[in-house]
Amino acid sequence: MHHVATTHDEGKGQYFWVWGVLLILTAVEVVLAYRQVFQPVRMLEVLMVLSIIKSALIIGYFMHLKYEIAAMKWVMMVAVVACLCLMGIFFADAFRIIHLGVQ
Amino acid sequence: MATGEVVHVHAAPQGFIRKYIFSLDHKVIGLQYYFLALTAVFVGMFLSLLMRVHMIWPTAVLPLVGEIKPETYLSLLTMHGTIMVFFVLTTAPQGGFGNYFLPIQIGAPDMAFPVLNMLSFWTTFVAFVVLLAAFFVTGGAPLHGWTGYAPLSALTNAGPGQQLGADLWITSIAIFCIASLMGALNFITTTLDLRAKGMTMMRMPLTCWAWFITAILGLLAFGVLLSAGILLLLDRNLGTSFYVPLVVVNGQIMGHKGGSPLLWQHLFWFFGHPEVYIAILPGMGVASQLLSTFSRKPIFGYKAMVYAIMAIGFLGFMVWGHHMFMSGMSPYSAFAFSLMTMAIGVPSAIKTFNWLGTLHKGRIRFQTPMLYAIGFVSLFVSGGLSGPFLAQPVLDIPLHDTAFVVGHFHLIMGVAAIFGMFAGTYYWFPKMFGRMMNETWGRVHFFITLAGTYCIFMPMHYLGMAGQPRRYSQFTELAYLQHLIPLNTFITYAAILTIGAQFIFVINLFWSMFKGPKSSDNPWEATTLEWTTATPPPHDNFGGRTPVVNHGPYEYSVPGAPRDFVMQTDPASVRTH
Amino acid sequence: MSDVAVQHGIAGAYEPSLFGTYSKKIGMWLFLLSDSLTFGALLFAYSYGRISNPDWPTPFGKASIANATIMTGCLLSSSLTMVLGVLAARRGDFRWTRWWIFATMVFGSAFIVLHAKEWSGLIGEGMTPFKNPWAPNVPQFGGTFFTLTGMHMLHVTIGVIYLGVVALRKKFLPVLLALWLIVWLVTPADSIFHIAVHVLLVGAVVAAVILFLKPKDYDAHDVEIAGLYWHFVDLVWMFIFPLVYLMSTRV
Ligand code: HEM
Ligand SMILES: [Cu+2]
Repeated sequence: MHHVATTHDEGKGQYFWVWGVLLILTAVEVVLAYRQVFQPVRMLEVLMVLSIIKSALIIGYFMHLKYEIAAMKWVMMVAVVACLCLMGIFFADAFRIIHLGVQ
Repeated sequence: MATGEVVHVHAAPQGFIRKYIFSLDHKVIGLQYYFLALTAVFVGMFLSLLMRVHMIWPTAVLPLVGEIKPETYLSLLTMHGTIMVFFVLTTAPQGGFGNYFLPIQIGAPDMAFPVLNMLSFWTTFVAFVVLLAAFFVTGGAPLHGWTGYAPLSALTNAGPGQQLGADLWITSIAIFCIASLMGALNFITTTLDLRAKGMTMMRMPLTCWAWFITAILGLLAFGVLLSAGILLLLDRNLGTSFYVPLVVVNGQIMGHKGGSPLLWQHLFWFFGHPEVYIAILPGMGVASQLLSTFSRKPIFGYKAMVYAIMAIGFLGFMVWGHHMFMSGMSPYSAFAFSLMTMAIGVPSAIKTFNWLGTLHKGRIRFQTPMLYAIGFVSLFVSGGLSGPFLAQPVLDIPLHDTAFVVGHFHLIMGVAAIFGMFAGTYYWFPKMFGRMMNETWGRVHFFITLAGTYCIFMPMHYLGMAGQPRRYSQFTELAYLQHLIPLNTFITYAAILTIGAQFIFVINLFWSMFKGPKSSDNPWEATTLEWTTATPPPHDNFGGRTPVVNHGPYEYSVPGAPRDFVMQTDPASVRTH
Repeated sequence: MSDVAVQHGIAGAYEPSLFGTYSKKIGMWLFLLSDSLTFGALLFAYSYGRISNPDWPTPFGKASIANATIMTGCLLSSSLTMVLGVLAARRGDFRWTRWWIFATMVFGSAFIVLHAKEWSGLIGEGMTPFKNPWAPNVPQFGGTFFTLTGMHMLHVTIGVIYLGVVALRKKFLPVLLALWLIVWLVTPADSIFHIAVHVLLVGAVVAAVILFLKPKDYDAHDVEIAGLYWHFVDLVWMFIFPLVYLMSTRV
């Protein structure tokens, strides 16, 4: 391996923090789910919000997106989030199917 | 480098295999893609000829294939559609021309990832071979059309072609997805990272913009089709039920339960609609480039063109549901999809107006490439106008699955995109091979093809409204379609003529490659970077230099300039618009 | 600016990159973008099936959830060691880089082993891609579970191989082949992993070809983009875990 010049160098400490937070959030998820604290739909919402926070931490810190330039941040994130949201339209049909009684 | 001029000279690789087979040079890879697509288009065309002949003489015994049975017709249909959409329209404009000219037009020595580029071509090649193999396995090619709708595509006993043939079809599509993903990320990175000094995004030729946006669409769309294909393979081979509800085939209850064919349609069209823009955007880029060059006028509304391409790409992801009005969907979604689809008309109209604005008062040179560019606009308008009709659920329900749709998509996606490729071929041939193509035969080819395609596809709109269904093999016996037989016969004759005329093109292509008059470095007096370098371009495109760009891409008829055009690399001191 | 340009010291001949970084990193990000849609489509297919089948089973008891939680911990910790490896590489400290990458690989392998155990358990209880013992009316349960987690496991496996190649280059090939052989020999012939282990063989062949074509040293940039891939695999699990496991806990 050889050395290449790199620009930014952040402290190690923050990664341990992020790791800790991720573990705690996971623990919270597990406890919530295992105790069945909420109704299923509410549970799904809570879990998804927690997961999105976790992925934001992973993308922002571990994957360094926080330190990339604005153009990259926005283009990448908007593209993928928009596409994933669009797929959400599928669900309208999935809900309809229950009522149609299709097996 | 201090001067920013003379840089590294790459040595060209030696040896036939490294140079022409497993080449890393984007120009060679571009040509490989081009010739792959050329092969594919002839296979696809031959299949369409068989279909057309079968339509009016259903019992005729044809040489080579014998009598076409209804299921054979469906196989031909599937393979025709798949070959045309994937291996022609996706391969030639982007993989072929894009590969060859994107790096040169932005002043790069090569693509950002040459090895990936090579892999991407060879993966496409494998996909093509796997697809063709479907013809030769037991049961033959699949029957499910290029859209592969489940449950037909998900059941192995649903018909003769649905056995191994359908597995090969899906495998081929999955491999093609991977190839396209590799290509797409290469195109995007190259455009972002390898533009020569002065080649800002807003100085890129519109061709580069089109390739760039097409690559983004590909990147976002093909991954979804890949998943859809994997699930389909699992349904067929592992007995999962993603797409299959409880079904009975030939009196036998299948093991599947609880799946939904609509899921396949959603996933497929989530890819499928962006795919039609993947097919047409590069053609739009070429048309813009050529209309400006041959009208000797700057393109009308460069910025509007760029934003229109972006808007089309963006909206293209929100309209897939217009293919599913008939499948039954939530009326609210149908409404939204209908609205979004009509909204796409706006950027499309902007592009059309700008093309006409470019022609307006131009000093037009009617050379073959220009004829094709104009033909592209004509077909785009003729095919596009029926789009807003089909976008409305009330109109789509009677018209869907009739010949009307066949007419619509052939004009706008099929032939228009093919015209873009013809335009590109006639235009860039001198740069690629150092010789000119024959003008006279080019014109003959153009006029026959233009008239021919209109004769084939325009009447289909009428057929569709009269009730002729799509994907039907034999309708000559149906009483209510009797009166359409003469028109169908006319279409078939037109198809035979048009397909015949394509041999003029091929002969012209290969003859000119060896015997055509030698061309200068800039035969069309165009401004973009590919015309500043030698013909054909050296291995690293600019012979050890990196060009410095000082002007926009469409500086024609510049008042006070020494020539009527200013090349992008001309000194900054030359005043432009 | 592109790598090629930077390496040849001609970055000045080009416009600055629109994304302000080197090509390989952009390439990896773009790949991850499309891969996230591939996974997105799978997750949507799963959710679609789940919504339209109201009797979805909820079979994961204490043992399963505990196992999956440990797996999640493994992946999260592997991300930490990975990022520390990237940091070490940036400092130019390649001894530590290697150690951190090894740690990452160990966590990754632990994840795979735990997951394989879980799979075997479920298969033992009678779950297949087309049926499950808990809800005979919902055959999708098995299909979606195996597809989603299988696809993810494949990504983790590729990630471990990728990291091994970056850290050890040619020396990793014998390790990989030995692993392949061992797993192949220990797993019973009717086990799915007896077949799936051939992924390692394919991986070894591909890695050998790549190393043969480009026998170069990997630098901090290569470590960084390998890290991107690894974190992404971790990220995907952050959605699979709650959707597949936590939403199907048995009380
Ligand atoms: C010589 C020109 C062509 C002729 C005569 C022709 C003819 C046909 C015919 C007869 C069908 C079957 C219609 C039906 O029964 O439903 C068809 C379908 C189709 N064609 Fe063409 N075609 C030509 C060129 C193209 C091109 C350039 C494309 C590229 C987009 C294309 C794409 C398709 C597709 C996607 C289908 C639908 C297949 C399906 O239903 O799955 N065709 N064509
Ligand atoms: Cu569409």
